[in-house]
Amino acid sequence: MRLRTALTVGLLLLVALVLQTTLFSQLEVFTPDLVMLVVIVLGLTKIRPELVLAIGFVSGLAVDLLGTAVLGLRAMVFTVVAFLALRTRERADIGRFVTALWAGLITLAGIVLLILVGTLFGQTVLLGEGVVDRLVFVPIANLIVAWIMAPLFVRLIDRDTTAFRYA
Amino acid sequence: MLSRQPGDRTLPTLITLLVLGLLLMTFDVRSEGGGVIGVVRSGAQTIVAPMQKAAAFAVNPVVDMIDSLTNVASLREQNLSLQKRVAVLEADLVAVNDDLARLELYEQLYALESTGAALGRTVAQVIGQPALEGALIIDKGSSDGIAVGQPVIDPNGYVVGSVAQVTPGSATVIPITVGRNHLAVAVGNQTGTVVPQIDTDVMRLDLDAQEPILAGERVVTSSGSVRFPSGYPVGQVAADAAPTNDFLSTEMTPYVRPDTLRVVVVLAWPPDPVTAVTDTETTTTTSPTTTTTNGSSTTSTTAGDG
Repeated sequence: MRLRTALTVGLLLLVALVLQTTLFSQLEVFTPDLVMLVVIVLGLTKIRPELVLAIGFVSGLAVDLLGTAVLGLRAMVFTVVAFLALRTRERADIGRFVTALWAGLITLAGIVLLILVGTLFGQTVLLGEGVVDRLVFVPIANLIVAWIMAPLFVRLIDRDTTAFRYA
Repeated sequence: MLSRQPGDRTLPTLITLLVLGLLLMTFDVRSEGGGVIGVVRSGAQTIVAPMQKAAAFAVNPVVDMIDSLTNVASLREQNLSLQKRVAVLEADLVAVNDDLARLELYEQLYALESTGAALGRTVAQVIGQPALEGALIIDKGSSDGIAVGQPVIDPNGYVVGSVAQVTPGSATVIPITVGRNHLAVAVGNQTGTVVPQIDTDVMRLDLDAQEPILAGERVVTSSGSVRFPSGYPVGQVAADAAPTNDFLSTEMTPYVRPDTLRVVVVLAWPPDPVTAVTDTETTTTTSPTTTTTNGSSTTSTTAGDG
């Protein structure tokens, strides 16, 4: 990965992290998990798969460090999410809506995994009030953001203006 | 277009990272968030807090506008009910001012002096909330006098939670509704504890009670609490309940919804840390005490928060 790509990815993750803990944590109607979405969409780029996994791990670790949940929980979950994205990315390359749907489904898998692993490690707050809402609204919000942003994001990272231009 | 496929090294990398994650989780759980991990967390928060402050400055008006648009119907009703409440409270305020004037007169007559028990208060803005965790990040830290363990209330004086982590420029507050600790409370002259529950914001209220309690009764922090000064409102009893064997368990609805807070107040309590240490040693245990009255003896528990 070139330095410029690394800086772009780092900057995007930082913006996602700050927006996640400020803007979207206060909204009740629209609650995407932006950091998870960035990790998912990185699976569509030309960055080496091992690096995408590592970025997923580090991103999750950063979210863990800024929160109160056990350290390593999101690092593990985001790594698995990145792996799922890499393994299924061919299926996302059909159309804009399919890409968004794909991102929403992987987000759903990520949230379920987060709740399961978190509960195993005593993070009962993840099962708090609104757990069903989260399982529904976070993937839908990620789907919408992915529908708008995913192609643009891939073009920006890969610096390939032809990427994800569905005929 | 997608020229690369996951290579052979993807799976080993995944397994390595998962093992590393598991090790981190185990280490964090065993060290109970302290030690090296606590320092690293503080460092990360120190780096990101200025960006969160800047983002909160720009974002809060947008959030308020979106909230207003989505809740416009309920806001009108709320506005009307608040206007009525303001009228009632203004009448109460007049009565309280009369009482204060009378109190001042009596203090002058009997040459009484204030004990200086007023607590230091630091008003802080909520600048972030880690996703799905319920904690609050505030824009005041150790450089503003904030310390771990200090109680946090909302601008109306209702209990929010306590400070769990501090950096020079920010702090993390764990609300009572998501923390793991009990909080010692009182309903009337009966004492007990409230505990967070899974799946709901309503908390469980356990009391050493001789008398029934009614829905709507006010729950306040008790003098047995080592985490909060006494008398601060926590919530209200959610359902009528009667004691069985001098014990009562019901539910309490907290007054505060932490996720809606924009501003909180951190109390400089306890004022004397030495007293706090002594209090912790003497009141955090739950011990049976026996009282003998007119030849009959009763056993009860002294509730503190843990």
